[in-house]
This record gives sequence, structure tokens and C-alpha cells, in this order.
Amino acid sequence: MSRVLERLSTAILEGDKDKAARLVERALDQGVPAKEILDNGLMPGMDEVGARFRRGDMFVPEVIMSADAMQAGLDLLRPHLVAGGVELVGKIVMGTVKGDLHDIGKNLVDMMCEGAGFEIVDLGFNVPPEAFVEAIKEHKPDIVGMSAMLTTTMRAMGYTIKAIEEAGLRDRVKIMVGGAPVDAEFAKRIGADGYGSNAATAVELAKQLISAN
Amino acid sequence: MRRTNYRTYAGTRFQMLSRDQLQALFDGVLHTLEYTGLEVHHEEAREILKEAGAWVEGLHVRIPPYLVKRSLQMAPRSFTIFARDGNPKHDIHIGPGRAHFGPGPTPPNFIDVETLERRPYVRADAEIVAKVCDALPNIDFVESLGTVSDVHHELAATYEFATMFPNTSKPIVAWSYGRDDAEDIHRIAVAEAGGQEAFERRPNYVHYCEPLSPLVSTFEAMDKLIFAARHRVPVIFTPCPLAGGTAPITAAGIIIQAAAESWMGLVVAQAISPGLPFFMGGVLSVMDMSAMILSYGAPELSLMMAGITELAHFVGLPLWQTGGCTDSKTLDEQAALEGALSVFFSALSAGDLCHDVGYTESGLTGSIFQTAMMDEAIGYSRRITRGIEVNDDTLAVEAIHNVGPNGHYLREPHTHRYYKTEFWYPNLCDRHNFEEWDMMGRTRMRDRVIARVRDILATHRPAPIKPETEETIQRVLEEAEARVAEHA
Repeated sequence: MSRVLERLSTAILEGDKDKAARLVERALDQGVPAKEILDNGLMPGMDEVGARFRRGDMFVPEVIMSADAMQAGLDLLRPHLVAGGVELVGKIVMGTVKGDLHDIGKNLVDMMCEGAGFEIVDLGFNVPPEAFVEAIKEHKPDIVGMSAMLTTTMRAMGYTIKAIEEAGLRDRVKIMVGGAPVDAEFAKRIGADGYGSNAATAVELAKQLISAN
Repeated sequence: MRRTNYRTYAGTRFQMLSRDQLQALFDGVLHTLEYTGLEVHHEEAREILKEAGAWVEGLHVRIPPYLVKRSLQMAPRSFTIFARDGNPKHDIHIGPGRAHFGPGPTPPNFIDVETLERRPYVRADAEIVAKVCDALPNIDFVESLGTVSDVHHELAATYEFATMFPNTSKPIVAWSYGRDDAEDIHRIAVAEAGGQEAFERRPNYVHYCEPLSPLVSTFEAMDKLIFAARHRVPVIFTPCPLAGGTAPITAAGIIIQAAAESWMGLVVAQAISPGLPFFMGGVLSVMDMSAMILSYGAPELSLMMAGITELAHFVGLPLWQTGGCTDSKTLDEQAALEGALSVFFSALSAGDLCHDVGYTESGLTGSIFQTAMMDEAIGYSRRITRGIEVNDDTLAVEAIHNVGPNGHYLREPHTHRYYKTEFWYPNLCDRHNFEEWDMMGRTRMRDRVIARVRDILATHRPAPIKPETEETIQRVLEEAEARVAEHA
């Protein structure tokens, strides 16, 4: 039984999407509980990916392949987890703020967070404050993530937080921000709960924000 | 003595790509514009493009090759950007074999010239940057190295230009958020030129527009471009693709994509204003696959920039080059190494305006110290790229004969004729012997750079602007403040 989970971890590490999906199916067939497949198969693989990335032993394209493999496994697992009443790590509503069409940084964070087991609702780019507010009402996320690439659009993060406050939703979510011109001081000034300097630290931050809840 | 069929080269030759390779790149750009196309987020721009012969479907615009070629033919290869005060030494003559250097736009942070700490960029920094650039002998044009953070946020570009303009008579490459502030900037420049017509004859600044990679012309970039074209402001249209992230990972691939993104602006500009001076962009570098930053110190930056420079020159456009920048956070050996090598490579490729001289921390912090250190690297590079002059006098056969075995050349008229022009003399590099260096306080490059910047700030007086321009600046700022107060 643990042999299949071990191989699953390896498939994640290797970024082999098809193999990961096959192994999740095999584990389910063998009667391994979904929660155990997640905790002892998918997650250890992804944790190792994170560790290797931080050490400089893995590069972004490889991490993305691993995140895709993780996602493929998770897609098969999700119905079983839901049926068993198991909660995923957490849910994040993500978007690049109004006026900004830059997508890649936010997409990287999406992929890395999905890889770490978060459920992502991606609102895309050029997302107005109202759309963030609506998404919070609809999806009830644990975290709202905002990205901006331009010094001109980073202010829209502050406006979005204000809109979330005015809608009375601020204490229901943690807010994290990131993007090239953003720094920790700016994040604090606009009232965000955290700032990630890159996609890898964003994942760590999201985990911290969840555990602080 | 007359020679026949005798070939000379001026300067150090550097050519990376063959004509066949350049043609292959050119064909790739044409193919991309014809079959893939771009999204253009500006209705008026799409109408202009359609009218010119482009295929428009919704936001999507494709351009037939004949239209690209016609636009390329309309844009000039050689032209002049004029110093606002008529000082011919500050004019910039764009043309083959001429590399010019200057800082870059919009980092959020700046290295404080007193405390040497990194902090948000403020209005007073624009004065510092303009003044120091005005004095540095190898800096040819001026940009602010930051986004002004201590004024109303919509007026950052207006205040930036209004502050720089009186503090340098070298041409400024202006940056703005959109059309309103582009207009503020233009009013100031036109006042100094003596009216729109006089400005058109002697344009004294260049406007900077940045589309988005991959393959998007944003509303702001197009809006600014249209304003510039309508007012005959020489224009730069430069994307900032990241190889492996927002562009193909290969140098040839990113060059093709960047050229396609830039030429969308070219076609619009030439449709509005045939013959408008147009600088092709952009900044080509790698997305570091570990640090996930756009690297400003990568060797691939210089390599890709040299490649796109050759493509630009192949099709007869000047290029907006990049160099003198670094990923280092401070004025250290890494900053010197990355900055100097990219400056040298840029000088070799003779990209027409080489910007970002003074970018540190991967473009997130402007440093006038980096600019000042690179001024030395540019002087150094320019001496090498000027090459070896070969004529009867420089061959010095007569001088060699006169001095003969075991003589010396110090008293030779030949030496006296050339010692000022044949050598480059450093401003910052130390050539003293050890004892002298020891006596002078054992300064390091870093210390001398800081001292030079502070000395310039204490002593340099840029040429003043006209009194009527002073008034215009006052009025522009008051009206701009009123405009944003109205919006609020």
C-alpha cells in the first residue's frame, strides 16, 4: 500500500502528470483512503519539490510540471475527499488588480498554491474591486490574493481592500499581495495581511495565513 | 598619396548575425504579425490600423507584410534630437554607428545620495538625476530613474518632467501614465522650443511607450503613442518580454516577438504621422528560473539586445538599447561587472539610445551612483569602439625613424599632436602608484563614485530655461493639480 504512495510522491517530483493520475487511481482501487493518498502521496512529493526549488536544485518550469501532476492527482481525489468530508488546505480567490493586464506572476502563484493543495479561484487580470467582493461572497475563500506589476496599478490593491472592508467582508478573509513593485512596507500600509516576494514565498505565506486562522 | 580601392573601417566592427539570419528573423516578425497578430486595447488605434490596411477582428489585429514594410520605409534611420538650449554638444544625432547612453524610467526606489539607503523615489530625486546626468560627459540623454511618490499619484510623471527639464539641457526621454500627463509634458517642451512649429523643426524630447508581452498593445501605450504621433514627438515603443516567461526562451524567438510588439506601434505611428522618428524596442532578458526575476545583469540581456539591434538596423530603424544595469542591490563588484560588460556590448552593437544606465536590483531601484560609475565604463567603451585610425600620419613611420633605437617619444611633435585624443583619461579609475594611492586615503571605486556625484551636485549649474518656460511649468502644475482635484 505505501509502495504506491511512495511512487506517487516520485511521480509528483518528476512532474509526470499521467503517472500521477494512474497511481492515484490505483491507490483508490486498492482501497487507500483519499485523505491518506493526499497526505502521504501527493503532499510529500510537493513538499520535496518546494524544498528543492528553495535550494536551487529545481527550476520554475520543473516546479510547474510537478504542480500540474499534483493537480491531476487532486482532480481525481477531490470528489472522494468531499464525500469523506475532508477539507482541502484552503481556498484562495486570486486576481491581478484593476488596470493591470500582467498575468504571469499571478499564474505562477496559482500553480504553486494548487501544487501545495490549495483550491484556487482565479478571477484573471484587470479585476475591479467589485469583482473581488462578489467572488468573496460567492466562493467564501480563506484567502484573497492580489497581484500588480506596475507602480501605477499597485494602488488598486489598496482600493480593493477598502472595497472589501466596505462590504463588511474584511474579517472573513486573509489578504495577501505580491508583484514586482510591491514590498512588505506597502502591503502593511494598505492593510494587507501579508506579502510574498515570489511565488514560492507566496505559498509559504498562504500556509501561514491559514494556520493563523 | 592617393590610394585606390583601399577600404577603411571606422570603429570596432561587431556583427553577430549574417544577412541570411537577419532575413530569417525579419520573415519571422512578418509572419507573426500576419498570421498570429496582437490584441490592441484601443479602439481609435484599431480604427487607424484598419484604415491603413490591417485586418481587425474585435481586439485582434493582424498586419499584412506590405503594410509593415511601408511603415518601415517611412520611418527615418537618421535624425536629430535637439538640446533645449541650442547647445550643439547636447544634441543627439541618431544614425549608423552612433551609440548614446542614459538612465531608465520608473523604478519605485532610489538610493539616497546622502544616506546611501534604499527608499521610495521622491520629486527631489528627479532634480538630482537630471543635474548629475547633465554634468556626466558620457551620458547623452536623461530619464528619471524613478516614479515620484510624494505628489498626487496621477501627477508623478508631470512633476518628474517639470523637475528634470530645468535641470538639464540634454534631451529627456519622457515617461507618462497616459494622455493628460503626456500633454502636460508636451506643453513644457513646446514652451521652451518656442511653439509647436518650432518644436517640430527641433524636437527636444522623446516620449516612451511600453506595450505588454506577449502580444498586447495596452490602452495606455497606444494612447500615448497616438498623442506623440499627432504632435510630432519622436517616440519609443518598447515591450519588456521575459524569455521563458512572457516570450520564447530562445534569443531568436524573443527577438521576433519583441519586434512584432514594437512594430504594431510603428504601423500606428507612421499611419498618423508619416516619417515620425520611431525607436524600436524593447528590453529583452531572461526570467531567472530560480529567482523568478527579470534579470538586468544576465549575459543573455546583452546578447539578445545586440541581436535585436542588428535586426533594427537591418530594417533601417534606430533601437532603444539597454545596458549599464545590474541585479546587484548595491554599488559593488557585481554592479560594476554586469554594468560595464553590458555597456561595452551595447557600445559595440551601436544601439542608438542605450537606456537603464543606473538600474540596480533588477530594475526596482534607481541609483545615480551606478549611472556615474557607468559613465566611466561608457567612456572606456567608447575609446575602444572608436577603433584604430590608419593614415600616413598615424602610421608614424616618420616618427619611428626620427626617434630611432633607444630614443623616446615624449618630445616628438607626433606625440604632442595625439596625446590628448589618442588616449582616454579616466575620471574614476585609479592609476596612481601604491604610495600615492595610500597617501590619498586608499579610496575604492565606490568611494570615488560617491564623491564625484556629491561634487557634481555641489558645483554643477545646468543651463537655465527661458523665463516663459518657468511660467508655463508653474501653470501646467497648477492646472494639473486642479484637474486631479476635480476627479477626486
